[in-house]
Amino acid sequence: MQSLTLESATERNAGRLARLVPRLHVKAFTGGTIVAIFVLVGILGPLLAPHDPNKQQLTAMMKPPQGVGAVHALGTDNLGRDILSRVIHGSRVSLLVAFAVVFVSGFIGITLGAVSGYFGGKVDFTIQKLVEVVWAFPPLLLGITIMAFLGQGLFNLILALVSQRWIPYCRVVRGQTLSLRERDFILAARCLGAGKRQIIWRHIIPNLIQTSLVIGTFAMASSIIAEASLSFLGVGVPPEIPTWGTMLADARIYISTAWWLPLFPGLCIFVTVLGINLLGDALRDLLDPRLKRTASGI
Amino acid sequence: MNRRHRQTLVVSLAALIMFVGTRVETNAQTRVSVGVTETIETHNPYGDSVSLLYGIWSEVTGPFCTYSYGKGDFEGRLAERWKVENPTTWIFSLSKNYKFNDGSPVTAEDVVHSIMTRVIKDPQSKQKASVAPSIVNAEAVDKFTVRVITDKPTAPLLSFLCDRLIVTSKAAFDKYGRAAADKEHMMGGGPYRLKELIPGQRLVIAKRPDHPAAKKNPRAPDEVVYRVMRETEQRVTALLNDEVQIAQFIPPHLRQRVEKSRNLKITPVDSVEIMFLAMQPKPPFDKKEVRQAVCHAINRDQIIATLLEGFASRLDGPLGPGQYGYDANLKPKLNYDPERAKKLLAQAGFPGGVDVELQTPVGRYTLDKQLTEAMIPMLNAAGFRARLLTPEWATLWASVQKGTIPFYYMGRGSVQDPSAALHQYFHTGETPRIGYSNPKLDELLDKEQQEFDPKKRRQYLSQAMSILTDDAPACFMWRHKLLWGLNNRVEYQPLPDARIYAIDMKVRR
Amino acid sequence: MSAYLIRRLAGTVPVLLLISLLVFLLIHAAPGDPTLLLLGEETNAAEVARAKERWGLDRPLYVQYLKFLAAAAAGDFGKSFKYAEPVIGVIKTRLPATIELAIFSIIIATLLAIPLGVWAGSRPNSWIDNLGTTCGLFGISMPSFWLAIMLILLLAGALNILPTSGRSTYGVAGPERTGFYLFDSLMQKNWPAVWDMLTHVFMPALALGVNMLGILMRVTRSAVLEVMNEEYVVTARAKGLAEKNVVWRHVASNALIPVITVVGLELGTLLSGSIIVETVFAWPGSGSLLITALNARDYPLVTGVVMTYTMAFVAINLIIDGLYAIVDPRIRY
Repeated sequence: MQSLTLESATERNAGRLARLVPRLHVKAFTGGTIVAIFVLVGILGPLLAPHDPNKQQLTAMMKPPQGVGAVHALGTDNLGRDILSRVIHGSRVSLLVAFAVVFVSGFIGITLGAVSGYFGGKVDFTIQKLVEVVWAFPPLLLGITIMAFLGQGLFNLILALVSQRWIPYCRVVRGQTLSLRERDFILAARCLGAGKRQIIWRHIIPNLIQTSLVIGTFAMASSIIAEASLSFLGVGVPPEIPTWGTMLADARIYISTAWWLPLFPGLCIFVTVLGINLLGDALRDLLDPRLKRTASGI
Repeated sequence: MNRRHRQTLVVSLAALIMFVGTRVETNAQTRVSVGVTETIETHNPYGDSVSLLYGIWSEVTGPFCTYSYGKGDFEGRLAERWKVENPTTWIFSLSKNYKFNDGSPVTAEDVVHSIMTRVIKDPQSKQKASVAPSIVNAEAVDKFTVRVITDKPTAPLLSFLCDRLIVTSKAAFDKYGRAAADKEHMMGGGPYRLKELIPGQRLVIAKRPDHPAAKKNPRAPDEVVYRVMRETEQRVTALLNDEVQIAQFIPPHLRQRVEKSRNLKITPVDSVEIMFLAMQPKPPFDKKEVRQAVCHAINRDQIIATLLEGFASRLDGPLGPGQYGYDANLKPKLNYDPERAKKLLAQAGFPGGVDVELQTPVGRYTLDKQLTEAMIPMLNAAGFRARLLTPEWATLWASVQKGTIPFYYMGRGSVQDPSAALHQYFHTGETPRIGYSNPKLDELLDKEQQEFDPKKRRQYLSQAMSILTDDAPACFMWRHKLLWGLNNRVEYQPLPDARIYAIDMKVRR
Repeated sequence: MSAYLIRRLAGTVPVLLLISLLVFLLIHAAPGDPTLLLLGEETNAAEVARAKERWGLDRPLYVQYLKFLAAAAAGDFGKSFKYAEPVIGVIKTRLPATIELAIFSIIIATLLAIPLGVWAGSRPNSWIDNLGTTCGLFGISMPSFWLAIMLILLLAGALNILPTSGRSTYGVAGPERTGFYLFDSLMQKNWPAVWDMLTHVFMPALALGVNMLGILMRVTRSAVLEVMNEEYVVTARAKGLAEKNVVWRHVASNALIPVITVVGLELGTLLSGSIIVETVFAWPGSGSLLITALNARDYPLVTGVVMTYTMAFVAINLIIDGLYAIVDPRIRY
């Protein structure tokens, strides 16, 4: 058991994977399936969608869902556009935004956080100042001003979201690193002559992955939602790009009269968030060396 | 939830509300709450310039004069009568019955003070251009007579002063200074006084029972609470719950939810806000054919019938019935004709189509984004390659005023008299909003503004609008029928300009 | 520690400077023009020029910024364009509403999230864990404007038990003293007003707090999971301590670090992120003020609100770092 503390997480993973696979529970499977389906739908979107998502038919607006096999399986919206097709095309954009934002901001945030927490002193001070400056900015204000300044567009939207979303990683990772760097296995590694870079990359960051995954899964959800909030405030992506967020924001005046307008994009967001989180949980369990022992009943 | 549970809940809730409300109910006052999308934000009556504001302040300080939609003409209030002495000099005779809430009469001095000191000279005023654009001087002839002098003949002067000029007390201003006079010692000659203002939440006005207008209509509510409710579902819900008795701007599709309740009704009103697509005469819109093609491409009737459920009236020129200068026989009419649009586009040198970007505000006008989204495929069917952009309002509006947006959907409100709106958008050099220039139109608009004979003025206006429609620097789309949700306890006929006059409400006791 | 504190306080000066520069540049760079947005539909070039001169917008940008800095150093953020009143005064009237709302959101969120999170984390993969996780996810997958409208339709509409918007019913509350309605009403023993305040705050606080609830629950759960397997917990179990004691004494207290961080982070978000909720519910706080100011490009007011938030932030961060040291003595500064 003592030896476990001296090991760092990554070194065990290969062996652990083999032992865990049978138990890589329902969670991973469900989560993985959901995410895989949505990613696949996102990629194949144009092939799967029965209609052009922007094709309007004012004579056939507000048709309630007609069921599988019908012309408009999930009904039509206020402009007579096919909701199923819009949801399918929406998954492409929404997921692209979510993944891009999470990976870019995760990379920036974790690196800066680990560096900040490990080195302390002036480095920490500078990075934390940066964090305070950026984070103190009301997020929606930053979003609105960036979008207003750069104009509407997908890339600008991602930029606007990343500009602040790396902060939670940085803060939490720094907090944990502060605590980690005093731990026995880091001290031991240092005594054994490991360099700073090596310690950060091989010992500290792997131990931060669990928390980061949790933050990441939330960030994924929150960037899908932030996109909706920005379109609520009138600075989302251009209307010709269907996204779940804008569909939801546009549908809010129809909640009480045409439930299918908001329901399907809302459901997609929820299920995706659920899937991503289940997957995140499973990954965390996989990477966590100790959880297995509890589960097997020590 | 089944019916019985619901009833128990309602009963216990009623008990609760009575408990909460006891203190308020004792004085048996009538109160009407109004769900609005915005209220005034400042105590300074001259510190902002939005349409709703003028209405509310007019109630507090008494309208100077008002536009009667029934008569189709202006009507005296504080200013009982007026006459045009010569084309640049107007004489206004004040009513002797208007008194400030401290009992002192409203005099010519106060009017002069309001126009000259508060509207024109005060650096904090944001109303000069809206209320007194051409006024260079105002002076008291005697205690109840005011002479107003303009720098050029201004026939539509009343459309600036009526329902807009806010008259406040000179004495209070001199005694307390601006800030305190507005905030703590607001003197008004109107039937209501300001009781509470919480910017962003609500505004309360209370009736002055001794006011001549209040005596004329004793059933006007004692207190009116304007509550900010930005979401449509919220206003409808509040109406159904009897939290508010009047709700502004119900979108057409929510009408049935309101009408299901026996206590509520929907009153549609033809708005005087004209909605249009503006096109700056820069490529490709520098060619008249392209502009006309846009007008021919859009099927206004279909949009009105479907998205707006019939709650709008098509415009075949800048104006519709009920607006000053409307001409039912105005020619030409640019009807829906996609084939003709295609031909015009080809004539203009774009047989293969042309890229255009239409910009629209979101949530500013009834279904603005939805309506413009519906225009895109129509434009495309006529050979355009159209894209829709929805920039944030502050960006859009400032850019429109600077003249940097070539193609946009916009509304112009308060068009009882079209003079100001037409000058603003189409007269050479007035504003860069469209950047349109046509000497023939300019001449007509100048003549119209200086013509005091109504018949001739209408003629000039008609000719000007005919040129506009044909040359099409803008395509005039429709005027919305704004839907007001009303509780049956309140009798009220909403006005076409979205202003709310509490003194015209009648509360059933 | 006190040397550290002084160092930190001194460190806030560059942060404030940087923020002021950033907000100044951003807001001026954003398209839109206060004169055109505030002067009304009929405004003309002469009036615009007059307003520009009065508001100092005709000067070069760096002069405007330096003038702003000089005044700000003396505690004056200038006059709002829209309200024509000192910015600080305008913010002061709005801030209590936002703080009150934030406090209620935190109360709702932490009261539910921490016990749920600890419970779920100490029994991973049990039904309570799964239920909590799903609820948490539901919370974070709903945009706040959306949740706000749903709450209005449900609690004000279908059930008709809460008011649709606003912060109080007209005529119920007594005279305002501190601006904190609950506090004022309690002091005046005005029970109807207390009740009135609570009914008004519930929906916006929930709409604002649900997101935080979801995040907090998940983070608590995950932190508890990690700590559950530390040696000292295993040892505590081995010593034969009751599971309840193990969870609450050893695990919960040690899982606090990430939890505190998240609460702190979210606190800042609550203060500044209430823009949408305040706007939907007509809550007269600083969030709706910020959006009003931004829509009018009221430069001094936007800058003032952001600077206020920044100061709140700096203070919160200081407190959080202090809490770290208390909770985990291994951390030294």
